Amino acid sequence: MTKYPTIIGYGRTKFGELYERRPEELIEEAGLKALDSAGIERRDLEYCFLADYFLQLTNKIGLEEGFMSELLELHVPMEKCRSFSSALFNAYNAIMAGRCKVALVGGVEKLTDRWDKVRDDLMILEDPWSYYAGGSPESNHELMLRMYVKDNGLSREDVEGLMEALALIAVKNHRWAALNADAHFHSKPVSLKEVVAARKKAHRMLGLYDFAPISDGASAVILASPDVASKLCDSPIYVVGFASATDFISYACRKDRSSFLATRLAAESAFKMAGVEPKDVGIAEVYDQSTLLELVALEDLGFYDRGEGWRRVKSDLEVGDHYNFEGGELYVNTSGGRKADGNPLGATGGAMIIEVAKQLREEAGPRQVSFSSRVKAGLVVEHEGFGTKTYVHVLSRERP
Amino acid sequence: MSSEPIERRVSYIGDRLRGAKCPICGKEYFTTRHYCGVCGRASVGRMKHLDLFYEKGVLEVCTVVREPTNRFRGLGSYIYGVVSFHDGAIRVPGRITDLIVEGDLDPSTLEGREVVPRIRRRYAVGKSDIIPTISLAFTFADEYYPYQRFEPAEPKVRAEKPGIVGYGVYTSRFRIKEEGMERTVPFIDEDAITASVEAGKLALIHSGVDPGLVKKVYVGSESNPYAVKPIASKVAQVLELGVKLPGEVQEVDAIDTQFACKAATSMFKDAAALVYYPFVETPYVMVIGADNAQAAPRTTPGGELDFFVGFGASAFIFGMCDVIAEIEAWYSCTSDTPDFWRRDTQKYPRHGGRFTGAPAYFKHIEKAAKGLMEKFGYKPSDFDYLVLHQPNPTFPVKAAKNLGFREEQYEAGLKVAKFGNTYSSSSPLGLAAILDKAKPYQRILLVSYGSGAGSDAYVFITTPLILEKRRRQRFTVEWQAENQFLKYVDYYTYRRFKSGLQLL
Repeated sequence: MTKYPTIIGYGRTKFGELYERRPEELIEEAGLKALDSAGIERRDLEYCFLADYFLQLTNKIGLEEGFMSELLELHVPMEKCRSFSSALFNAYNAIMAGRCKVALVGGVEKLTDRWDKVRDDLMILEDPWSYYAGGSPESNHELMLRMYVKDNGLSREDVEGLMEALALIAVKNHRWAALNADAHFHSKPVSLKEVVAARKKAHRMLGLYDFAPISDGASAVILASPDVASKLCDSPIYVVGFASATDFISYACRKDRSSFLATRLAAESAFKMAGVEPKDVGIAEVYDQSTLLELVALEDLGFYDRGEGWRRVKSDLEVGDHYNFEGGELYVNTSGGRKADGNPLGATGGAMIIEVAKQLREEAGPRQVSFSSRVKAGLVVEHEGFGTKTYVHVLSRERP
Repeated sequence: MSSEPIERRVSYIGDRLRGAKCPICGKEYFTTRHYCGVCGRASVGRMKHLDLFYEKGVLEVCTVVREPTNRFRGLGSYIYGVVSFHDGAIRVPGRITDLIVEGDLDPSTLEGREVVPRIRRRYAVGKSDIIPTISLAFTFADEYYPYQRFEPAEPKVRAEKPGIVGYGVYTSRFRIKEEGMERTVPFIDEDAITASVEAGKLALIHSGVDPGLVKKVYVGSESNPYAVKPIASKVAQVLELGVKLPGEVQEVDAIDTQFACKAATSMFKDAAALVYYPFVETPYVMVIGADNAQAAPRTTPGGELDFFVGFGASAFIFGMCDVIAEIEAWYSCTSDTPDFWRRDTQKYPRHGGRFTGAPAYFKHIEKAAKGLMEKFGYKPSDFDYLVLHQPNPTFPVKAAKNLGFREEQYEAGLKVAKFGNTYSSSSPLGLAAILDKAKPYQRILLVSYGSGAGSDAYVFITTPLILEKRRRQRFTVEWQAENQFLKYVDYYTYRRFKSGLQLL
């Protein structure tokens, strides 16, 4: 008998600018799909965890549990969390503590309902002094890019290579999204030329195609205790590693400003818990709020040495849609990533978990990658804020 | 919407860039803290206060923000980054101000440069909200506004008569040049409040006066962005005038005055009388004249002012010790002459056209000057310098000639062609220009004019200390008038900057 809670079902909505739909409708759709895929009824749920960042602001919804209760006609315990990963973690703990056997983990966001103010709202995830000083949702990414160049002593030529590597990440993620019907940019492949032209047009280091969009959407996962899971599901996905870590809210005050300490710490303990190493990972969804963050995540997770990632990213993506290592291949952000799948904050982690689970269950349709026997695990890395919190989940289809 | 309690706390920390330092491990923090995160309980109650108000930092890393969030949109594109102080012991987020970002600017070319914190409006707010300020705005130390150390000195020489012990003039980097006349234009995040604090800071730097000994501050202005709420309270708080009391209160009297362009000069005598008053010790008093003079568009009533309005502030510290210019005499006159006014809630003042000349400006200036000379027995040749209120380049010249003064006497203090009419700061700025170059034992006659109407006349005589203190101030009137970093803007930009940050 395994001690790990398992994912037995999942569902999500399309991500995008869903102006015509209410947040309740989105969570309902994702939830029903998840129940359906797990083959259970709403009354089987013993606990619900819902993630959203901004429903209070965007939709004046401040007590989400009440809405959930009404939607599901359930009166079980419910908790509201910020990110999907934190909701999943809470569900995990509830199951491990014996509080329940089946839990719904949902996430929803309706950012376009406040399209005119949402960039100001996003600054709530930062140190207020950075906002007062004029910071924008994009500025930390560009400051980190400058720090990456400086800390790693990149030459002018290196910087050109780095920028091309980042553009290739955008191109790769859009290409994957073209295979994902639920992605925000399902029908919008971009070329290297377009990514570079967008930067030039904006007179900025990072341009339109370097950043994830502002999206609406919902996602849901059914998490079950191991004994129940084995009865309900033929191909459960085990959550074999989980960790999170935290860093200062103020980017300026962090010791390390060209990588994320929180990711390094969380990855280390999640790998340890799961008993795996980076070389055992074949699929990963990382939080590419900007193309830079995919590169930085690959370094922070230990796939590349610091300051070296961009060279490898560039050479690998020039010829394919995945990264190559001595031991094999690493597929990253096959959903399209936040860049092209979309980034409805509360639902984001769900989409990442679902993508890795789908790939591991070989249900990813046109995006399905083939894993060699070395692959033991998939990885999901979600941030809250700009690397302020990092959650790392290690998923496995092998019964641990 | 702004919440006043938050505004109070943010401004208290942000205007002065207050922080803390752990006496055990030496770690420095931006924003005040009662314990050190590293040393924990051992540090509770032992943290040392620090602030970055008079420091210079280094722009460590930066980017161009081209799509600001809503409240910052009025700034257009701007530089945002991380500024480090004390060799990286403390880092703060910061915005570069006084910079118009044009075309492709490679931010990496700005990294590593030294910057000075500047108090500015933080961002745009609603018309009825508290105006938020912050000093997380920076300018380059090697450009228009130089970095200057503040070195308070013990008072040494006690004078017999009260007088000026130090002064500072602040005008912005931006100018509009039309028909041979240059005028100062505020950057979009400046106003009479920020200019007052800047001028006061420069006066403290020049005088070397311990701010704790400044027991009263007056700010005279006709362009306070508030109808009700003093500028002087901001000046007192940020410059820490008077003794610091528990509860973040300063032991100082602060008051705003209003009388068109003589709102500040009128208080010179009050300041002098206060420091001379023997029964309650008031070592120093600060008087600031500050204006971001507003004018209606040229084609509308009151629009004639749009050719002359300037922006700036002058601060003078009065005292009995280390005086650089003693006050010898004063004289004032007043009549109820409505040649310029602004009704409450009106955006722009109205102007009496030709009525503002002979029956207003000339009548009061000449009566005050003559009244003073008759009463105290001076004649024009007793003065080395004359400075008059200067609303335009022609009035003060004509009035000086009418009074029997020669060009050599009035030209040093005639600055309107370089700065425009800075209203409450107009004749004080001229006085500062004279003090910047006067020799010891030279006599200066100042006559201000305020519409409404009245004039104050003062006689100052310089002391030998004027030479010694001059070394303490690089940001002189001359520096500000002739500076390679001045930035000239067009009429549209001038109107936009002058109306300030607004929610779009």
